[in-house]
Amino acid sequence: MREQEKVNILMVDDQPGKLLTYEAILNELGENLIKARSGKEALDHLLRTDIAVVLMDVSMPELDGFQLADMIRQHPRFQKIAIIFISAVHLTDLDRLNAYQRGAVDYISVPVVPELLRAKVRVFADLHRKTQQLETLNRDLRSLSARLLAMQDEERRRIARDLHDSIGPLIAALSMNNGMLAQQTKKLGPDVADVLQQNNQLVEQLSKDIRTISHLLHPPLLDEIGLLPAIKMFAEGFAERSSVKVDVELSPEIGRLPPHVEISVFRVVQECLTNVYRHSGSKTASIKIAPSQDKQLTVQVRDEGKGMPRTNGVPSSPGSNHGVGLRGMRERLRELGGTLEIKSSENGTTVIAAVPVTKPMVKNI
Amino acid sequence: MRTRFLIVDDSELVRKSLRTVLQANPDWEICGEAADGETALKLFRELHPNVVILDFQMPGINGIETARRMSEVAPAVPIVLFTQHASPDLERHAREAGVRSVVSKTNAFPMVGMIEALLGPAESEPAAEGSADSGKGHAG
Ligand SMILES: Nc1ncnc2c1ncn2[C@@H]1O[C@H](COP(=O)(O)OP(=O)(O)OP(=O)(O)O)[C@@H](O)[C@H]1O
Ligand SMILES: [Mg+2]
Repeated sequence: MREQEKVNILMVDDQPGKLLTYEAILNELGENLIKARSGKEALDHLLRTDIAVVLMDVSMPELDGFQLADMIRQHPRFQKIAIIFISAVHLTDLDRLNAYQRGAVDYISVPVVPELLRAKVRVFADLHRKTQQLETLNRDLRSLSARLLAMQDEERRRIARDLHDSIGPLIAALSMNNGMLAQQTKKLGPDVADVLQQNNQLVEQLSKDIRTISHLLHPPLLDEIGLLPAIKMFAEGFAERSSVKVDVELSPEIGRLPPHVEISVFRVVQECLTNVYRHSGSKTASIKIAPSQDKQLTVQVRDEGKGMPRTNGVPSSPGSNHGVGLRGMRERLRELGGTLEIKSSENGTTVIAAVPVTKPMVKNI
Repeated sequence: MRTRFLIVDDSELVRKSLRTVLQANPDWEICGEAADGETALKLFRELHPNVVILDFQMPGINGIETARRMSEVAPAVPIVLFTQHASPDLERHAREAGVRSVVSKTNAFPMVGMIEALLGPAESEPAAEGSADSGKGHAG
């Protein structure tokens, strides 16, 4: 027994004797062999099982091989199924064969050479298996990266909350105590009053630094009052730290969204602004969030910088760098069922994210 | 009649500092303390405080929601939101919920003056006439 998973091979022929011959030839491949006596029966199997290869006689009563192939190809789910026709060679048949643009198609003439048939079926069966493995692997990776992104969000939220809950009160208490002392400055000597004044400044700086760290980790207003105030607050802080002038335009009717949508949109904006600061050289950025159609939101972040790197005028492929920013955004949006579009030229970069939302987003357009 | 404060904060440390600051004024007293919004609402109904000092981020309902429910019960009682996250947006939301003023926890120094202003001039002098319902005069 082989370790790898078996795939299904569907053999279609109106003559039982031929089916038995194919079976004998293909048995040693160790795959699942399914027999169908007519085109109808074959379609039945196709609808019920995942078939890797269809082996069919061109000339069958009722539905001939080409008609059956046409029907199979019309179905989007079956467009990638490999089809091997078996027939006496007619030039007209070969012409028809060439007309098949989509999917893998092959042709084998009678009398069938067992080794040749086996070899052809094996190639398609292996291809199918590899495709399936890749798809599974892709799905796994995708769900892993979605999970990692969600964990990262959760972790950042937790650290921000810990900062808020443990260090926040300490600073508040320090600040209040200093405030109390400051009211008594008359009773203190000038030197002591000076130290107190310095302490006040230290507390203020400390609180500012922690505030920045905590805001970058997780926007404090996001959970409590929502996406738009959180983005505004983040943009203000970003503008102050980076000296990039940020223009924010948010449609107020968006209101509250599900928590996973709010954090994802926030992170997209955050990554975009970080990129503007780190890569674009732009002195300005604009953020626009508005309903673009019913049940969809468009998030747009634009800069007037130098644009993304190009090799000979062609944008470098997104896979060629090791950045997580854009790819992370893409994954987040895929997870939400949305899309990410990047327009970049030497006049600047615009990142546009479309996010489906469940509540109606009707706007007087 | 002394002005009675309800202080609400999930941090014992912050409540302690608030006590120290507020009690420095002989006309002010702390009538109750709560560490979360729900408890605060209960005490608010039972104790009829004249002023509420309210934290924003707490377990359970947040300060803004707590303020909203308090001002449904007694809109005249001034509520001060005491927060680490003072920002114009938060302030706007807070005011819509009935909060009278927002004080940053990291710069708590102006709080006393702010409360005095909220209470009005009559309140900072020892009350000559009965001001049992001192909040009433400051509605709106
Ligand atoms: N606004 C922009 N202007 C110019 N170039 C950009 C802009 N945004 C992205 N890029 C280019 O695209 C690349 C990929 O961006 P991405 O955010 O994916 O990765 P990164 O910023 O390099 O690293 P990371 O985000 O993981 O810290 C960047 O390295 C930069 O060359
Ligand atoms: Mg980046």
